[in-house]
Amino acid sequence: MNSRARYSFTPTDTSLGEASFKPYLPLTLHYRNNSQEVIGLLDTGAMVNVLPYQVGIELGAVWEEQTTMLQLTGNMAQFEARLLIVSALLGQFSSVRLVFAWTQATQVPLILGQANFFMEFDVCFYRSQKLFEVTPKQSL
Amino acid sequence: MVSTELVEQLRKLNRVDKLQIIQLLATELADEETNLIKPGASYPVWSPIEAVEAAKVMLDALNAETTKES
Repeated sequence: MNSRARYSFTPTDTSLGEASFKPYLPLTLHYRNNSQEVIGLLDTGAMVNVLPYQVGIELGAVWEEQTTMLQLTGNMAQFEARLLIVSALLGQFSSVRLVFAWTQATQVPLILGQANFFMEFDVCFYRSQKLFEVTPKQSL
Repeated sequence: MVSTELVEQLRKLNRVDKLQIIQLLATELADEETNLIKPGASYPVWSPIEAVEAAKVMLDALNAETTKES
């Protein structure tokens, strides 16, 4: 089995040319008996994973059942956020548990950040080639 | 879409004028690339770059769940 998955950067606005390419990663989230195919933005500067409100709803999560409140920062500080743990399947790799700050903000992308996406996967960016590679973390 | 009329006019230019046109367009394209961020405009950043406390709470919860399952 290939232990490395390669993806292309995605252009998001052709009028912006080179500036619009973003590292979007397709993955499938599972919560209870529901699953949802999503596109996550790889954000190495983000401390946490962020799940937009609508994606959580489509996964069957119930806002009122998530009782751990989280305080986000920046533009997201104004929105309430709650903790949600889901399973994620990426490419041919084994399923991992991802913990999200499920925000009531709807206009945000699904963000894959340090806690805990980048603790589960190593990512190598080749921005000049508009490519990135994802590898499951190595067991020590 | 560039009109055929404009193309015809450009073709009539002498060599020096053609080079000036190329330089002008190349400069404009370069300016457009570097002026994507306008002064005085607001660009929201939707990235939780300093959510350290939230990260700790989330990792503690994940560890607690893992411990409970094992």
